[in-house]
Amino acid sequence: MLKRLLFLFLISFIVVPLCMPVIFSFSLFWQDIFPQGFTLQWYEAILTRPRTYSALLTSLVVAFAAVSITLLISAPAAYALNRMDTPFGRWIRDTAPILTLIFPPVTVGTALVLAFSRPPLMLSGNVWMVIIAHSLIGLPFMFRNTLASFRTLNERLLSEAAASLGANLWQRLVYVIIPNVMPGILVGALVVFAISIGEFEVTSMVAGFTGQTLPLQLFQQIRNDMRIASAISSFLVYNSLLSFIAISYLSAQIRGGPDRRAA
Amino acid sequence: MKHRVEHLFLAPFLLFLAFFELYPLTNMAVRSFLDETSQAFTLRYYLNVFTQPHYVTAIRNSLLFASACSLVGAVAGTFVGYIAVTLPRNQRNFLLSLYSLPLTLSGLVVAFAFIVLLGRNGVLNLIVQRLFSLPRDFYFDIYSWPGLVVVYSFYQVPLMTLTMAAVFENLDRSLLEASRNLGAKPWQTWRYIIIPILAPGFLAGLSIQLAGMLGAFGTVLALVGGAKNLLSIQIYYHTSESTYNLPQAAALSITLIILIGCVLYALSRMEKKLRPGG
Repeated sequence: MLKRLLFLFLISFIVVPLCMPVIFSFSLFWQDIFPQGFTLQWYEAILTRPRTYSALLTSLVVAFAAVSITLLISAPAAYALNRMDTPFGRWIRDTAPILTLIFPPVTVGTALVLAFSRPPLMLSGNVWMVIIAHSLIGLPFMFRNTLASFRTLNERLLSEAAASLGANLWQRLVYVIIPNVMPGILVGALVVFAISIGEFEVTSMVAGFTGQTLPLQLFQQIRNDMRIASAISSFLVYNSLLSFIAISYLSAQIRGGPDRRAA
Repeated sequence: MKHRVEHLFLAPFLLFLAFFELYPLTNMAVRSFLDETSQAFTLRYYLNVFTQPHYVTAIRNSLLFASACSLVGAVAGTFVGYIAVTLPRNQRNFLLSLYSLPLTLSGLVVAFAFIVLLGRNGVLNLIVQRLFSLPRDFYFDIYSWPGLVVVYSFYQVPLMTLTMAAVFENLDRSLLEASRNLGAKPWQTWRYIIIPILAPGFLAGLSIQLAGMLGAFGTVLALVGGAKNLLSIQIYYHTSESTYNLPQAAALSITLIILIGCVLYALSRMEKKLRPGG
């Protein structure tokens, strides 16, 4: 009994705060203990107000771009590093996942602004810089997940088996390796996507007028209009929640092993 | 020859990091020593960091705030991690995957949630006021330092829980039984068996918490703006707001990186010492 109560308390520690923006976003007003009325107009406002709508599109473009960049550079790197037993290889394997810990985003943001805010490298203050910043923040997560899936796969054994059957490097990648590391890569992609959609700190440092993402609008609306802020917050909660569900599903499949996945 | 081709796969990754992380950070380190107008060598910006009162306060506040948040997170997270491994399997899996959610959640959403929950007219504050018929000016203040620690525990406790649940799961129960069978008193089992096993994981979790907290500012900025003086917020304001001063921001950033480096180094030294046989 006590344990069940404790379990419920531990669940509500996360769930109750997450419910706040969601309840707020469906209410006409919420001044007292209980919210009143039901409406969808704050969600409608995101789509009809030009600034939030364009911020929503920017956010989606940036998130997809950041996922693509991190994926395209970490997946081949994880493949190569998994086979590299030199001290250099081990050093990269250990360092890359903790980069954001050693160099916190706020310092990376400052460094990016300093490096790319004057000719010939005028990247700062537009959407490209936001994409690069999000890729840098997401990279350790993507790298960790892709490397982990190569490790658990025993990729070398599979590759050697495929090679002994006459498959060249390209065939080994397309038919053997990529299908097997796909769940791990998808987990990494979902984490990077969710982080990118919600990222505020570095974005607000490097984004100019053309790089306005949804969290930057949320930051303004928390001061101006809590109702629109509630709809944006809820959207971000749904996004995290969806990727959390997808990640749990994928992780269960990874644990279940390749045989169950084929069934 | 085959291996050459596969090593080429590493190139995009290394080039990207070199161009967008290593170069900007090195450039920032150099620029923090150069005067903005004359481009001559100067130590002025670092002198400012250690002599101007508001920077000194910012460093002190950052260290205290990060320590407070990390300690709360570390202690509560260890406790929750212990509870998690005693739960039935499906409950434990649900709890642990739920606790990985804050990792991807925007700091602004957390700020919004806590304004509605515990703000001046927050739901919980109103409920407590009505229940105990307390005056209107009696409420839990999330805009104070202790309040901010509570808000950040939403991040810190789950993070530590994930680390410690893994550590507790690997704790070999037969070691505890062996120590009891050999006649060890409970404190001896703790001192010589449990703490040395838990310590590396605990310290690793604590390093993640401290390093993360020293650089965090999104939720603080959304809740109190610049009213709380933290090193990370000073850097933010010097880079992107009215007090625009990039070389000073660079010097402050380098200070923050060194500070985090020292903290991580000290904790990893401690971890080595606490290891069995260390």
